[in-house]
Amino acid sequence: MLHSFAALDLHISLAAEPVFHIGSFAVTNSLILGIFGVVMLLAIMFYVAGKVKRGKYNRFVGLVQWTFEGFLKSAEDIIGDKVLARKIFPIAMTIFFTVLITYWASILPGVGSLTWNGVPLFRGLPADLNFTFALAIITIVASQVYAIQRHGFFGNIGRYVKNPIKDPIGAFEGVLELIGEFSRLVALSLRLFGNAFAGEVLLLVIAVLTSYAASVVLPFFMVFELFIGFIQAYVFFVLTLIFTSLAVATHGNHDEHTSSLDHSSADTPKAAKQLE
Amino acid sequence: MNVLLTQFASTEAGASDGGIFGALGIDLTMLIVQGIAFLILVWVLGKFVYPVFLKSVDERQAKIEEGSKAAAAAEKKASEAQEEVAKLLSEARKEAGFIVATAKEEANAAVEAADAKAKARAEKIVANATETIEKEVIAAKKALHNETIDLVAQATEKVLGHVVTDKVDEKVIAAAIKEVN
Repeated sequence: MLHSFAALDLHISLAAEPVFHIGSFAVTNSLILGIFGVVMLLAIMFYVAGKVKRGKYNRFVGLVQWTFEGFLKSAEDIIGDKVLARKIFPIAMTIFFTVLITYWASILPGVGSLTWNGVPLFRGLPADLNFTFALAIITIVASQVYAIQRHGFFGNIGRYVKNPIKDPIGAFEGVLELIGEFSRLVALSLRLFGNAFAGEVLLLVIAVLTSYAASVVLPFFMVFELFIGFIQAYVFFVLTLIFTSLAVATHGNHDEHTSSLDHSSADTPKAAKQLE
Repeated sequence: MNVLLTQFASTEAGASDGGIFGALGIDLTMLIVQGIAFLILVWVLGKFVYPVFLKSVDERQAKIEEGSKAAAAAEKKASEAQEEVAKLLSEARKEAGFIVATAKEEANAAVEAADAKAKARAEKIVANATETIEKEVIAAKKALHNETIDLVAQATEKVLGHVVTDKVDEKVIAAAIKEVN
């Protein structure tokens, strides 16, 4: 078995590999498929938006709009503040659509098997840690921006830094909160990357193991990966909203503007724990 | 397997070159490029696509709310109408009851009046009949008396052979007195 693996030359790389260079910039295989995914996403979204604008609906347009409406309602429910929910929603929704389309693009036949100078030509964008890490940074930075807008710059710092003499428990909690922000960043990026990378490896290994029967066996795993892709995109979407909700939430009754957030702030840690 | 091990070995080599970030394939240039590309995507979709969807969602929501309000108003109206109908029905029932009671009373009064009238008429008829019968009886008695007198006269005439006149009568009376004596 091990010999057959060796003989099959199974190409697995943790990092995205450069296919060619433009100047000093390396164009990686994940970037190529990512560009394809983003172009597909833009084409779909502009097509649907055009149809919605003209009032010409079909099942696909209805499906996209239904998804959009459902996710918007989810965002409003999670955040609690409708105005803030609509501010953060474009980032969260774009994360969902981008992760979904690029994840699904990585299941297309040819991904991993087509090579260029011994390097796979295509690789799923979520299987590139640069992409997932960039998304996680944007999510955390966005939540911090909204937190600063809500609490003020020093108010936001006050969430993490407290006087240990006056409030030792609060100070300890602040340190934990700060560590939590970094752990969220790492967890967000590694969760998506791990799932996508494992999915690609799984498909590759199944293809190698099943050999000629791969055309029969692989579709089942592809459907499974489609499902995982949706789940991962949804989890990223929800966590983006939950982290924003936690960042803008106030503890106590000193901020009367955020009375509607008290409910969500009480609920979201539980939801965040469940998702994490 | 050898290839796999070689791959992992090369990864570790990468790790020794660029630390853990290098091992995981994190490249600062690529990270920034992908981050900026994503933000541009968010801006494009947020500028040209999502407003269309949001407008559509808001319009639909407004329509639903409008429909909901209209339904609530219609329900309220229906409820009010139902209450009014119930009230009208109650009033109508009361009125109908009153009318029926009045009609019954009137009918009873009419029946009683008719009864009394009929009784009076019957009594009158009976009285008239009695009077007529009495008159007829008297007349019959009178006629019978007269007839009896005539018969007696005729019988006497037949017995005496003469028409009973005052003279004859006197003679008969005288003969009878004589005989008695």
